[in-house]
Amino acid sequence: MENMEKDSLTLTETQKLDRIISSRRSMMKLGGTALAGLAFAGIAKAQSAVTDTDILNFALNLEYLEAEYYTIAATGQTIDQVGIGISGTGTQGSVIIKNNNPMSAKVNFTDSFIAGYATEVATEEQKHVTFLRNALGSAAVAQPSVDLLNSFNGLAVAANIGPSFDPFANEVNFLLGAYIFEDVGVTAYHGAAGLLTSSAYLDAAAGILAVEAYHAGLIRTVLYGLDVANPSLGIDATATKISNARAALDGTGNDDVGLGVVTTSVGPSATIVNADSNSIAFSRTTTQVLAIVYAGGTGSGGFFPAGLNGNIK
Amino acid sequence: MDEIKKIIDKAHSRRSFMAGVGAVGATAALAGCGGSSHRGVSDADILNFALNLEYLEAEFYLRATTGQGLSSSDAGTGAGTVTGGAQVTFANATLQQYANEIAQDELNHVRFLRQALGAAAVSRPAIDLTNSFNGLASAAGIGSTFNPFADSNSFLLGAFVFEDVGVTAYHGAATLLQSKTYLGAAAGIMAVEGYHAAEIRTLIYGTSVTNPQAPYLTEANQISALRATLGGGNETPISGTSIVAADSTNAIAFDRTTDQVLHIVYAAGPGVATKGGFFPNGLNGRITATAS
Repeated sequence: MENMEKDSLTLTETQKLDRIISSRRSMMKLGGTALAGLAFAGIAKAQSAVTDTDILNFALNLEYLEAEYYTIAATGQTIDQVGIGISGTGTQGSVIIKNNNPMSAKVNFTDSFIAGYATEVATEEQKHVTFLRNALGSAAVAQPSVDLLNSFNGLAVAANIGPSFDPFANEVNFLLGAYIFEDVGVTAYHGAAGLLTSSAYLDAAAGILAVEAYHAGLIRTVLYGLDVANPSLGIDATATKISNARAALDGTGNDDVGLGVVTTSVGPSATIVNADSNSIAFSRTTTQVLAIVYAGGTGSGGFFPAGLNGNIK
Repeated sequence: MDEIKKIIDKAHSRRSFMAGVGAVGATAALAGCGGSSHRGVSDADILNFALNLEYLEAEFYLRATTGQGLSSSDAGTGAGTVTGGAQVTFANATLQQYANEIAQDELNHVRFLRQALGAAAVSRPAIDLTNSFNGLASAAGIGSTFNPFADSNSFLLGAFVFEDVGVTAYHGAATLLQSKTYLGAAAGIMAVEGYHAAEIRTLIYGTSVTNPQAPYLTEANQISALRATLGGGNETPISGTSIVAADSTNAIAFDRTTDQVLHIVYAAGPGVATKGGFFPNGLNGRITATAS
């Protein structure tokens, strides 16, 4: 463990080090030394240790959230209405949506281009849900209560975007709502990669991480292009407020890059990629991810009004 | 039938991988020995393999955006020569910003890997950005020549050649790395290549929306088909509902063995190859030859 820290010391810059140290601290808070030990010892099973099942179930909770968001936006139906299983261990919840009617949240896409993206991402997040449920078998958690109404309003206030935010109101809002999730998915799977003990699960998690990065790159590219075409909408500025809010919620204040033009050594550059100064995607601990999806709440809140199901919550 | 072919392909690629790095490599990966055993594949071997690919990407994007490649301090002692590459006249500021960002990212990846590897870092091998693209275009059925530096859309097509391959290469490497620190870094670089790949695929698809007559989407998918032929399948053509390249059952991104990646960057069909395509003298390091 000490040597690992030293390795990081030699290969990263001071700024990155601060992040690593602070994220290690959070990890310690979460699972104690047993968690860190597990990652390196392989088979040690201290009583408070986090298992691969715990980590996959943590991911499954996030995939339920993403799948519901995209499926409702694209089809007006919840994932169980389109035939995706949501039962399992823990407490199965309901989906809180505007007008208490998923069909009313189906986005009125005017651009077939963006409609196609919504359909694609909805399908892929559904597949992630099903894949994780199959991998976990009888250990899979049920879908907890998912709030797609008050959560966005609360985040809008916290991010200083406005008193409310309806991501289903139009396609630009839909993309901004998607922006909230995708980069978080990347950081969550990135954080989980080093904790998984099974090589097969690591391989799958890395593959899902890549797909979340594709999604994030897609969403950010489309938003960036829309901002150029419609500068008066302030799309980049809103996205940047969301990034800042995520960084504030997870306690670092600096692990999230918004949209806009920055100056690099090459010249004026876009910020499609959300990554650190080494151009390595950020990583978040489960504690940091929870702080974001709970919108700062403890044990529940934000997108999960009754908390996550499983051991990491 | 498709299922059977998939299983055979998978078995074949496993065999290639084992033949490529030797059975000792697989054992070393499981034994968790941090050092480089005399015949096994060490973390340094894998990071150096990645560094070769990052040199290629950095040279492509830096030359396209600035007209200049890596500095001698970023390329290492005794670096190979780079053939071709020229500053692209981008159609608008936004496209230039996209390209500049990726160029900076790939430069950062070169520097990060060189720093992580320290004295073990390989120098830049010889890189060909002229004949390589011409050969690929010909093999893909696009035409006898292809200059990715000719204009913005050609540049996107050139970038498309690399990005999905980067994702599959890092994905394939993830389970081979023994150090959790390196695994974390590799996963983070893989994610960045995923952002890039989605960006390029989205922009290429966009060219077909603004101008259905434009050839770029068709040509990108011809390149994708060629990569599939050379690199063991693992491709998703671009369409309005397939920006992501992933397996269609579970929506999990593809991975490739080092052997499959070498077949693509060497532009080499079945058989033993030690150089070709983008690397006229082969890669530097210990993972340099295809097995079959």
